[in-house]
Amino acid sequence: MHTAWLIIKRIVLYIFLTGATIMMCFPLFWMISSSLKTLQETNSPGIVLVPAHPTLAAYIEIFHNTDFLRAYFNSVFYTTLALIGTLFSVAVVAYAFSRIKWPGRNVVFFLMLSTMMIPSQALLVPQYVFFNKLHWIGSFNPIVIPGFFAGGAAMIFLLRQAMAQIPIELDESAFMDGANHLLVFWEIILPLVKAPLAIVATFLFVGLWNSLLAPLIYLQTVSLYTLPVYVSTLYNINSAVQPWPTIMTAAVLTTVPLMVVFFFAQRYILEGIVISGLKG
Amino acid sequence: MTQNPYIDVLLNALLAVLFIIITSFGLGSLARYLAKWTGASKRKQESTFAGYLFASPWIVGFLIFVIIPLGYSLFWSFTDYRVTDNAPPNWIGLDNYAQLILKDTGFRSSIVNTLFLTSVGLPVMIAVALFLAVLLNQKTRGERLFRMAFYLPVILGFNTAVLLSWRLMLNTGTGIINQLIRALSTAFPPFSYLTRGIIFIQELISAFFLGISSGKYALFNRVLEAGLPAANRVPLWVESPLWSKMSVVLLMVWGCGAMMLIFLTGLNNIPRELHDAADVDGANDWQHFWKISFPLLTPYVFYNLVVGLIACLQIFEPIYVLYRDNQPLVPSAISMVYYLWQASFRNFEIGYGSAISWLVLLLILMVTAIQFMLQKRWVNYELY
Repeated sequence: MHTAWLIIKRIVLYIFLTGATIMMCFPLFWMISSSLKTLQETNSPGIVLVPAHPTLAAYIEIFHNTDFLRAYFNSVFYTTLALIGTLFSVAVVAYAFSRIKWPGRNVVFFLMLSTMMIPSQALLVPQYVFFNKLHWIGSFNPIVIPGFFAGGAAMIFLLRQAMAQIPIELDESAFMDGANHLLVFWEIILPLVKAPLAIVATFLFVGLWNSLLAPLIYLQTVSLYTLPVYVSTLYNINSAVQPWPTIMTAAVLTTVPLMVVFFFAQRYILEGIVISGLKG
Repeated sequence: MTQNPYIDVLLNALLAVLFIIITSFGLGSLARYLAKWTGASKRKQESTFAGYLFASPWIVGFLIFVIIPLGYSLFWSFTDYRVTDNAPPNWIGLDNYAQLILKDTGFRSSIVNTLFLTSVGLPVMIAVALFLAVLLNQKTRGERLFRMAFYLPVILGFNTAVLLSWRLMLNTGTGIINQLIRALSTAFPPFSYLTRGIIFIQELISAFFLGISSGKYALFNRVLEAGLPAANRVPLWVESPLWSKMSVVLLMVWGCGAMMLIFLTGLNNIPRELHDAADVDGANDWQHFWKISFPLLTPYVFYNLVVGLIACLQIFEPIYVLYRDNQPLVPSAISMVYYLWQASFRNFEIGYGSAISWLVLLLILMVTAIQFMLQKRWVNYELY
């Protein structure tokens, strides 16, 4: 009796887990499935889970769409550049907060943490005017350059927590041998925080790749559009028929890099290293 | 300035790096000089130099991109500044704030909509995240796969591409979600009653919130009098003002994986002995959860609540992608950040937009402060 009850509980558990998994992945499945359909099938009143005759027409069409291809290149280009600058500067600042003792460190650290409360959108208006003065509107500069100044307090915090766990004796013995901070940072500390760096890089990548608001405000011209901005223009609320297969094809191609990055980073992220410093 | 945008940004990035290096050395040297002046030891002078040298990318960025903009926007919020005409800003005192708080119906809608997301959406989101975390904590086979699936929406996030996939699924007539609801309702009549009940309650709540923002409760009364909807009714996800916010809630709940991960960490931190002791006393699963797990998870609930609330106030992408230019739906769905975008970057009313920014900022600080004050009453830190 007791074991039978346990087995039933187990089965119910798996049913729930499988059901939730299906629901969570369904939008992705639907995206892929719809990209292989014809326009009639995407608007059909019946349930078409998988198209009877999958067609690659939408893919062929989109590979001839120069606006889309350029938006893809723009996204890759700006994400890479901003990612490198942000990752490096965030690591440098995290080093200052964890491995060096300097007067005012606690005050500055507290200030940095409190900026997490400031929504970036609250700064959009004055930043826009500032970039306008620099004649940066209509260029990639406003969405790339600010990251170089260690943009992202949460990321600094995350790396600082990781760096603070490394025994300080390691640095001290290196200093005995005549190393300086730059050398210790590059040769000793960075190699020891590879996993947290991978997590931070993933978060930064996802944030940049998905970003809509800032590119929308600053880019202004179609030739500079990143993927989220360009893809949003494919869906036009005022037209009677939406080209769903085309939109979904663009969507699939937009999400592929996210999936690849997630596949490689999930082992770090899902183990919860990220939040180990949260307690209390 | 070069014509090629790619070379342009690369050059500017190089300039930015040079600028950062120079200011860092400047700030570091200044700090060292000050340390020397106060009579610090040679060693301490050096660490002061190194500390400021390494921290200054953030310090300089904080000044340029946070403090100075905040100062400017505070000033502009008291003016009628518009970026399109070259006229200097005129001081108009508290007019912007008075207009926003007392007269602006769009702004009021955005606050009420945010209230809906935080009071209806956020609890559902946290509950689902907690439920999934408890399920995953049962040490199942293929746990990693389930974790991946539950976290996947967080990575996809509010990317336009994913939002458009949702838009397709949420089509009222031919969308797959409503198709499935119709098919299930025909197959199992009890399911039909369940959905109609949910539709009724949801529309009642939404109509109530629409009533708050417009001051008229006629719609609420109509929904109430109509009673349980007809048998063939389906949710009108992105077609009706009664459902526009619920679609956003659906998206929020879908993306609850980050919260789930935090709960999972919390569940793992609960000492095994507590559950063993309860087993000896013959506690059932329900008691295990409510008497042991949940009280010890309250710090994590609190964390998710704080972070979730700030996230709710900042929602922009779903509303832009789903409802932009859809005039009848915009007021029923707009968030505060969407309203900020609309005022500042569609109408270029910088003064007005600055006032909105400051109100959003103050609201976030206030709400967070209140949460921290209230946490003593229900958050349990004793074990930690």
